[in-house]
Amino acid sequence: MALDLPTIIRNFDLRKCMQCGKCSASCPAGFESNLRTRMIIYMAKSGMDVLDLNELWSCTTCYTCQERCPKGVKVTDAIIFLRNLAARRGNFPRIHLTAIKAIYDTSNGFPLTPEISKIRSLLGLQKEPADVAHNEEALSKFRRLMESIEIINITREAQK
Amino acid sequence: MRYSLFPGCIAKNLYPSIEKATSIVFKELGIELVEDPYTCCPAPGVIRSYDFDSWLVIAARNIATAEAKGTPLLTICNGCYGTLGAADRFLKAHPEYIERVNRFLATVDMRYLGATRVVHFVDLIKESLPQLKDAVRVELDLKVAIHYGCHYLKPSAHGGENPERPEILERIVECLGCESVDFPEKLSCCGAGGGVWSGNEDLSLAILHRKLNFIKEAGAECIIDICPFCHLQLDQGQKRLKTRFEIPVLHLNQLIGLSFGVKDKILGLHTHMVSTRNIAKKAKKARKDLFEENEEKEI
Ligand code: SF4
Ligand code: SF4
Repeated sequence: MALDLPTIIRNFDLRKCMQCGKCSASCPAGFESNLRTRMIIYMAKSGMDVLDLNELWSCTTCYTCQERCPKGVKVTDAIIFLRNLAARRGNFPRIHLTAIKAIYDTSNGFPLTPEISKIRSLLGLQKEPADVAHNEEALSKFRRLMESIEIINITREAQK
Repeated sequence: MRYSLFPGCIAKNLYPSIEKATSIVFKELGIELVEDPYTCCPAPGVIRSYDFDSWLVIAARNIATAEAKGTPLLTICNGCYGTLGAADRFLKAHPEYIERVNRFLATVDMRYLGATRVVHFVDLIKESLPQLKDAVRVELDLKVAIHYGCHYLKPSAHGGENPERPEILERIVECLGCESVDFPEKLSCCGAGGGVWSGNEDLSLAILHRKLNFIKEAGAECIIDICPFCHLQLDQGQKRLKTRFEIPVLHLNQLIGLSFGVKDKILGLHTHMVSTRNIAKKAKKARKDLFEENEEKEI
């Protein structure tokens, strides 16, 4: 998907925003943090730079704002794509690199630990699930696929 | 009908009790589940936030795996559904992307065709309500707080329940002889999604705390979820909060398992962080009224 601010404004109907504030009023993350959805939409649709705002990363992507927006602005989708841009600039929580690395290394975001393996056996499940993580050939193929996609470059760039 | 079970990382690797309960419930409903070699869905909150196309390629790889076997993909997690369902619908609506995705998949000898579908397990239970009713053996009579979680209901453009007034979980829970309690912000987020769980723990727990206060006030004996990630947040998150709520958390399939007369230990209730002892006791009592001890269900 083409990535720049004007495309996001167009694809997700940000210009339709009338600043009613229903999104902010519905936002569970906004209750507890500085995230002001209406402000992000206002700034973005006016062409202001929002990519350095840490609040972009406070959104839980619950989609409540998008569902309730009376003008049909695709608020959550827009935030997700603004994050795509922010990540390329290096604004993202560094801890996420652990999850991305875990997926690259093991094909799972939450890899299996010996403790859980034991619980699996006690419950009568296979000790190790029949997933890609436990199939050497499939795992090396998956890593090859990961090498070919953009997310690896974005995160490697950030670690330099 | 056969379905390929997509357990997702959390049910497999953090809460195998959910995977176990799922296999028991669907066996009883006469629905065959097979296992296929999957990866992380990938996580919609983290991976999609970094690069939409990368997210799409990994999701398409998982869908293509089920497609090659000719089985629909069954998710037991809102996060997996949020990824696999959305990616599948996106590709079907934008065929020009299919070719692009397939250029990546070709490097690992795979291909997405758009010939299967992604199903959330609640929708499958919805279709099987009569069978479910028949299989219920014990009335648990629990006061439960239903937590829908976000990505089963939303975005609603994908169809399904009305996100502001859903009713399927209430119907299922009633079917099991339980009462669903009402509470403010019942449909609000658990606070884990969007990478906030790992990226901003304080905020994630603050959102959870707010929700748990409402649940406690409503007098719920337990929380019922349909997503292992919400489950992780509701169960482990409670332990991280300073306030001691001690509200047991069950994935819907575990509650259904109990209603089928399956023992709590078999369903792995004892492996949760928040004690489920009171629920187990109540289930045992309900079972006693129905079975002689040696007749107890041991699936
Ligand atoms: S709810 Fe929609 S129209 Fe209202 S402020 Fe938010 S984005 Fe703008
Ligand atoms: S999707 Fe994000 S911005 Fe919108 S209501 Fe939910 S947390 Fe707030």
